[in-house]
Amino acid sequence: MNLERVPNEEKLNLCRKYYLGGFAFLPFLWLVNVVWFFREAFMKPTYTEQLQIKTYVKRSALGLLLWVAVLTTWITIFQHFRAQWGEVADYLSFTIPLGIP
Amino acid sequence: MGLESAKLSIFLIVFWLSNGARCNSVEQKIYVLLNNTIPCVRLLNATHQIGCQSSISGDTGVIHVLEAESDLDWVLSSGPNPPYMVMMDAHLFNRTTMIRLKGSLRVAGVAVVIPKSGPSTGFSPHNTCPNEGSGVYSDSYGPDLAGCNGTVWNPLGNGLSYEDFNFPIFSLKEDNETEVIRKCFREHNVGLNGSTPQYPLCAMQLFSHMHAVTNTATCMRRNDIQTSFSISPEIVCDALSDYNVWGSIVPLNNTEKGHKENQSVVIAAARLDGRSFFWDIAPAGEGSITGFVTLLAAAQALSAVTPPTRNILYAFFQGEAFDYIGSSRMVYDMEKGKFVIDLENIHSILEIGQVGLRTDSKLWLHSDPISRKNSTVNSEVLKLVNYLKSEAPKLNISLDEPGVTQALPPSSFQRFLRARPIPGVVLTDHQSAFSNRYYESLYDNAEYLNVTYPPNLSPEEQLEYVTDTAKALAELATVVARSLYRQAEGEESQLAKIIADPKIVTQMLYGFLIQTNNSWFQALMSPEGQKILGATTPPQYYVGVPVSGNPVNTPTRLVQYILANLTGTPANLTQTECQNPEGVEGESKELYSYFWVQGPDYSSHDYSTWTESRWKKISARIFLVASRELEMLTLGVGVAVLLVSLLLTYFISSKADLLFSASREPASAAY
Repeated sequence: MNLERVPNEEKLNLCRKYYLGGFAFLPFLWLVNVVWFFREAFMKPTYTEQLQIKTYVKRSALGLLLWVAVLTTWITIFQHFRAQWGEVADYLSFTIPLGIP
Repeated sequence: MGLESAKLSIFLIVFWLSNGARCNSVEQKIYVLLNNTIPCVRLLNATHQIGCQSSISGDTGVIHVLEAESDLDWVLSSGPNPPYMVMMDAHLFNRTTMIRLKGSLRVAGVAVVIPKSGPSTGFSPHNTCPNEGSGVYSDSYGPDLAGCNGTVWNPLGNGLSYEDFNFPIFSLKEDNETEVIRKCFREHNVGLNGSTPQYPLCAMQLFSHMHAVTNTATCMRRNDIQTSFSISPEIVCDALSDYNVWGSIVPLNNTEKGHKENQSVVIAAARLDGRSFFWDIAPAGEGSITGFVTLLAAAQALSAVTPPTRNILYAFFQGEAFDYIGSSRMVYDMEKGKFVIDLENIHSILEIGQVGLRTDSKLWLHSDPISRKNSTVNSEVLKLVNYLKSEAPKLNISLDEPGVTQALPPSSFQRFLRARPIPGVVLTDHQSAFSNRYYESLYDNAEYLNVTYPPNLSPEEQLEYVTDTAKALAELATVVARSLYRQAEGEESQLAKIIADPKIVTQMLYGFLIQTNNSWFQALMSPEGQKILGATTPPQYYVGVPVSGNPVNTPTRLVQYILANLTGTPANLTQTECQNPEGVEGESKELYSYFWVQGPDYSSHDYSTWTESRWKKISARIFLVASRELEMLTLGVGVAVLLVSLLLTYFISSKADLLFSASREPASAAY
């Protein structure tokens, strides 16, 4: 969809949907929201709905950052201690690498 | 139309090129594949992993041929092109060299060239005290004998088979292939007059990536997880397993398990398997074949006379090299009442160990000093020893007992003693340490046992030729058979009739040591069974894991058929009856499965827990490598060409109006 051709109310509506959808443990929606509406929120000349869009984009970015932080921490910890945890780690794994502890 | 056909022809040309490339591929031009290689693979038990593995994409190194131990410095420190793939002759394949290589990051792998016969100094990659953890002696049973405290059975053992190497180790045969490798090494990797060699260098790549890791508990757990959760389950290891073979003189009712009233059974046992450092190559000549061939010959001798009062049960145990898999399973089943007899039914045990290398016709009768402290056990052991001792001189064999305080050598009998004090004797050719200088190694072959034939004999003539080894084993089999007969309270008058046939012994030795696919084995097997005979080489005695399509190891199957043929009576049955002998009395030759696992206790210290890792690809190849600089330069140039062409395309397309339309526009203007 080309945002240029969409009326402003529609933009706000879309942005809100993506923002709310992200709460269903879908951080990728927030990522899309941030990338897609960044120009609308911060680069375009002011229009009525822009303030609201700005808030959504900001909050989406914040949520996304939180997710990234949490996931990075967990992945680092898990990869680092997987061999050490042994049985527990095997049950937490979806694919178990071959030939290494 | 023209465009279409042009496209089609381009497509065809590309297709033809790619096809042609397959026939005469770049790969074939670069690599020389090595076909006669045998890898070392990973095995696991309750606590350890042993063996070797490469990385998932194979390990590559510049070949360095070790001529002497001093050459190691080139590999370990001074050589300019690490990592090295070390190619060595068998005499350098010892503990000191391998441990030094193991500690270095400059080693990519090892290839060992194996000659036909072993070094005269002896070589055993096994440990010095085989199966010490699973035998009878422990802190609670003869603590002063535990861990080979009194006698070191295998003093030549260097323990390499129980090391864990993080690089691949392959064995090569001394043949054209090794000559090609040596030539490649001499031409490319040896600098002129001691200078450093110049690129391109000759390199070798070995693939033996193993799936299992750490220990059996880990790999079995991963098997479970994979099979229950994964969409494409990938099994990582399999339990070592196969079948024991047993048969009795008087048929036992096999449908009723557990204790049998009024049965007293003498067990005559031998082991069926062996191993070596490398996977699936285990000739086990002196280690196992001498023992079970003697027992088979004795069984044949005993089938000629009227059955004795007590029953005799012949048992051939598989997997004994790996913490007594076969015997411990039989004892376990006897304890749980899942075998045709139980431990109470056992009168005594005579086990035949390594008996092929006797010096001065002297053999030794080992017994357990701890259980002999019990006077009833002692008197039974003495009885059996006396029978053996009195029968032996008639055949010019002398038998003796080692000192009364000496422990039992590693033997299946130890597993029975773990359960209860059963009287028994282990017959071997060594007084204390093994006479076998190649215990559990790939040199324990026909040559070592002196099973050799005069030149110019055809395979048929070799099969019939009675070797000295066969004569000696046949005499011993006669002694064993007669002693068993007396132990089982047979009639004394029959004794003279019990004679083992040296011809059958020599045929068995030929089949088990030289060539499986011979006319005698073919005659014994059913037409379906003959498929397993296959090769013109001897079978391997490594217990291994069940393969689909051939669930029973070849030696096991052979021993089963031979036992049935030598001891059975010709039955008057039709073919269909014969193939379904359930309803027929007297058929008691059975395979007896023994998977080691008794339950989900994969860290057991009482029972064997050995598993073999799975793998996808095992192969070896050699090729020439360029220097790292040249490789990087090639890559750099490639990337540069790509970037330049992208730029060029961008410019051309952005200036397309100027470049392509300019000439046409004047034409249209002229119009």
